[in-house]
Amino acid sequence: MKPAPFKYARPGSVDEALALLQAGGDEAKVLAGGQSFVPLLNLRMASVESIVDLNRLDDLAYIRRDNDTLCIGAMTRHRQIEVSDEVQAAQPLLCRAAAEVGHLAIRNRGTIGGSLVHADPAAEWPLVAAALDAQLVLRSQDNSRTVAAREFFLAPLMTAIEPAEILCEVRFPVAPAGAVWGFQELCRRPGDFAIVAIACQLTLDDSGTCSTASLAVGGAHSTPLHVADVEPIVVGSQGDAAVLTAAAEKAAAAVDPSGDVHGSADYRRRMVKVLAQRALKEAWSA
Amino acid sequence: MEASQGGTGKMVGAQVRRVEDPRVLLGKSQYVDDLDLPNSLALAFVRSPYAHARIVSIDAAAAQNQPGVRLVLTGADIAGAIKPLRVEYEPAKAPTHKPCDWPVLAQDKVRFVGEAAAVVVAADRYAAEDAAGLIDVEYEPLEPVSDVEQALAADAPLVHEEWGDNVMQTLQAEIGDVAKAFQEADCVVSERLTTGRHMALPMETRGCVASFEPATDTLTVWSSTQVPHVLRSHIALVLDFPEHHIRVVAPDVGGGFGQKGHLFPEEAVSAYLAHRLGRAVKWIEDRRENLSASLHAKQQAVQAELAVRQDGTILGIRGRFVGDVGAYSEYPWGSAFEAGHAASSLPGPYKTPAFSFEAVSVATNKTTIGVYRGVGLPIGVLTMERLMDLAAHKLGLDPAEIRLRNMIRKEEHPYTTIIGAEVESGSHRESLQKALDILGYQECRAEQQRARAQGRYLGIGIGCYLEGTAPSSAAFASMGLNLGGYESATVRMDVAGKVTVLVGTHSHGQSHETTLAQVAADELGVPLADVKIIEGDTNAVPYGMGTWGSRSAVTGGGAISRASEKLRNKMLRIASRMTEVPDDDLELAEGMIRRRADTTPLMPIKELAHRVLVQAGSLPRDEEPGLDATAHYEPPPSTHANATHIALVEVDSDTGQVTLLRYIVVEDCGTIINPTVVDGQIQGGVAQGIGTALYEHALYDENGQFLTGTLMDYLIPTAIDVPQVEIGHIESPSPHTPHGIKGVGEGGAIAPPAAIANAVADALAPFEVRVDAIPLTPERVLGWIEQRQAAA
Ligand SMILES: Cc1cc2nc3c(=O)[nH]c(=O)nc-3n(C[C@H](O)[C@H](O)[C@H](O)COP(=O)(O)OP(=O)(O)OC[C@H]3O[C@@H](n4cnc5c(N)ncnc54)[C@H](O)[C@@H]3O)c2cc1C
Repeated sequence: MKPAPFKYARPGSVDEALALLQAGGDEAKVLAGGQSFVPLLNLRMASVESIVDLNRLDDLAYIRRDNDTLCIGAMTRHRQIEVSDEVQAAQPLLCRAAAEVGHLAIRNRGTIGGSLVHADPAAEWPLVAAALDAQLVLRSQDNSRTVAAREFFLAPLMTAIEPAEILCEVRFPVAPAGAVWGFQELCRRPGDFAIVAIACQLTLDDSGTCSTASLAVGGAHSTPLHVADVEPIVVGSQGDAAVLTAAAEKAAAAVDPSGDVHGSADYRRRMVKVLAQRALKEAWSA
Repeated sequence: MEASQGGTGKMVGAQVRRVEDPRVLLGKSQYVDDLDLPNSLALAFVRSPYAHARIVSIDAAAAQNQPGVRLVLTGADIAGAIKPLRVEYEPAKAPTHKPCDWPVLAQDKVRFVGEAAAVVVAADRYAAEDAAGLIDVEYEPLEPVSDVEQALAADAPLVHEEWGDNVMQTLQAEIGDVAKAFQEADCVVSERLTTGRHMALPMETRGCVASFEPATDTLTVWSSTQVPHVLRSHIALVLDFPEHHIRVVAPDVGGGFGQKGHLFPEEAVSAYLAHRLGRAVKWIEDRRENLSASLHAKQQAVQAELAVRQDGTILGIRGRFVGDVGAYSEYPWGSAFEAGHAASSLPGPYKTPAFSFEAVSVATNKTTIGVYRGVGLPIGVLTMERLMDLAAHKLGLDPAEIRLRNMIRKEEHPYTTIIGAEVESGSHRESLQKALDILGYQECRAEQQRARAQGRYLGIGIGCYLEGTAPSSAAFASMGLNLGGYESATVRMDVAGKVTVLVGTHSHGQSHETTLAQVAADELGVPLADVKIIEGDTNAVPYGMGTWGSRSAVTGGGAISRASEKLRNKMLRIASRMTEVPDDDLELAEGMIRRRADTTPLMPIKELAHRVLVQAGSLPRDEEPGLDATAHYEPPPSTHANATHIALVEVDSDTGQVTLLRYIVVEDCGTIINPTVVDGQIQGGVAQGIGTALYEHALYDENGQFLTGTLMDYLIPTAIDVPQVEIGHIESPSPHTPHGIKGVGEGGAIAPPAAIANAVADALAPFEVRVDAIPLTPERVLGWIEQRQAAA
């Protein structure tokens, strides 16, 4: 379990990193926390000619609130988000989701940017990014663009990022007044990737009536899946059981899961229903 | 009881700190991979991607030309030089057993995914892996034998053609009139279940360093092994190399659990290469190799029936255990060992008048099965304990009550079981009662009722077992196995009166440096700090069997007690001449020669040692010089430990997820040498048993492809998933062993599958689910609930 040989560079600035990446073409890749990439290299399931290590780029590690937007630098570690007061105040669902990513040692190293680009359909960051309609800021040597998370994920471990691009920032909308959320994850052991996970955010008025709703599913589809059809069912309701069941069934109908050793496709679909119901209920009872 | 004659009895039983902890906790242990010999080369094996295939050709030219590559060898290259591993049972004792060759590098065909087909020797492991990737093995895929059912079909492909079928061994026995028992029964319950293929998974993977020194013609193998002498003998055998020129050293070993109680092909190849190249070679397997190509364990399909009277009294048991043993037979136990062990353990601590069993071991194209903590017992106990719960349910008895009614009682010891084992002492009913008390059984039942009313499903599960620990040489002989059960120790006193103990057991987490030193300290009346335990070097310690089978406290402790007794007698004899006090009125205690009657100190032990070893002229003429003694200790035919485990679980009826809320163990391993060490063995064993019950599953698809090659697929319980075990102790000393010691190493891992499976069945009693398989994965558990709901 040793990687094949590769070249290694540790640039001191984002521009330098972008130049190295551009020069390396398809055969260069960036290294962030290494918590997904390094195992793939060691298992020889991935091999690259050169690695551009981003770990010196402190200017990609930050949490900053900009009015209604929470901006998080791609090299921010899972753990920094999990324990951030600023994040807790602006969008507590992120802290909750971060706490479910692997174990402490992994959260201390792994980054939000790495998780999003790695694009494991069962991972927490892609899920909440889809649920909250996050925007991803991508840069290459001569371009900068913003892609919606809901468009970014294409297939398992495949995204819209180009080889010469670096994900620099993730922008989450700050939770609006009246926002409540639910987060449910089913996994074999705490810290494992989800068999199924659900993240949802609702806005409720004083009487508990829902005015906006967004729900996404992880682990049960080729990408994290925002189920837009849930919103019309839930909006206007007060979260009674029949509504939750109907919404959950909608979510279960929307996914096209594949199975693995931890759960068959059929099991995952059924768990989407169970967990979606629980997540919506959790949100309403917050 | 054979009491310790000269000891003060102070150390055995004392909760002293583990001597090895500072080293282990500070990361100062020296594992085999920490050994860096000059000019050492690294090995990487090329492993089969096919479950069953003929090797057409191997092209290693590209690999051979890689930078840093020293040598590439294939099966054809070593065919005459290294004998295949082969387990032979004595035919008279095991007439149905079919032996097979396990080539150290595949010859004509490969029989499991992960089988070694070639080896690369290179400057380092990176270069070796790079080159291994360039070796082109052309395979002609054959139809794989992917499960037992297929293996037993009439037209099945054959794993070993020369057998004519795929059955490695069939064992059958009937004791008492089983048919009559079932006819006369008021109630018969039956169980069919399957257990998941899983494995020991030591934190340190397998590995070895081998070197050859031409000047002394010495081949040295440092291996992460539990059995240094067994390894030495078998390396000598397969390499045809003189054994007295081989030295095997087991340095610190990071867990073995049975897996490292074998000779492996890779070790034989490493030793061969060191000799051939005259260079040190290192093989450290990676986790993927350990998962796919070491040894698996415990995949069996069981069918069993229990016949009872209305009051729950057992009349008869019958069981059929079919083990999926994989491709080969592991050296030296033989892979057929496990199924027989499981089957014969069925009656457990329950008085059983009639018993029959069949154990069938079947070869398939999977990784070979090997002994793993508890071997067959976790399966036998799971089966029996499920049957007890089913019978209790059918008769309307409490599950605890039906067990209490059938267990061997204290006053019945020594009790001869249906399989002829003499259970010398024990605390079956007492341990169950005590475990129920720790749990607060009645309160838990009430809580269960309250929870059910709220739609929460709590379950209580009991698992009781009887374990024959420290098997004797005769026990192996009766099965036709060529293996000793004895142990050897040398006890040496130096001129300062300090003691070095050389013993043939090996510690890989069991804390022998503490517990065996406690035994020696008592036997020789010296402080614990004055005893040093040395294990694991065949050039230092007398020929021994290593550590497995819950044997070391009994056999290592026994050998040390016997050797110490010899030394002590000599010391007292000499002291008697010097002090003119009769030797039977002398004792060794607290570092002194004392008068036994009134404990008056007469002479420090170190003064005696100095006089014997240095001022030897003062030694009586008829005394042989020297202060050391060696003893070989054969344990009694059986030394029985027992325990009760209770699991409290909650099951999420919507997801099938099982959560362990509490776990209780009341164990009885006879005299406890050190409670901390016993608690550690229990806690660690339970963790592994929880893995067996809930998580661990080495999976293959229908083509024999291995699906669980990383720890993201093959799940083990982590610290978060294992509750702090609530442990109670009862001590029923063995009347047959020095200090009354019994074994405890495997115990913790034996009953968790039973306790947890019973707890899950109990939790889901309102759904009347049938728990018919482990591990209890969420999907499986949910499936049982839904099946029942669909049927209703
Ligand atoms: C035992 C274990 C358990 C885990 N459990 C979980 C879990 O429960 N949930 C979960 O979500 N994750 C889990 N992970 C994965 C973890 O979250 C990783 O940290 C994350 O997936 C990748 O982030 P990273 O910073 O480590 O990226 P790396 O591993 O360094 O990189 C991952 C990929 O992203 C690319 N990349 C990284 N950063 C950028 C960037 N800024 N721009 C462009 N490309 C980039 C890399 O080139 C690479 O292809 C686990 C990991 C381990 C080892």
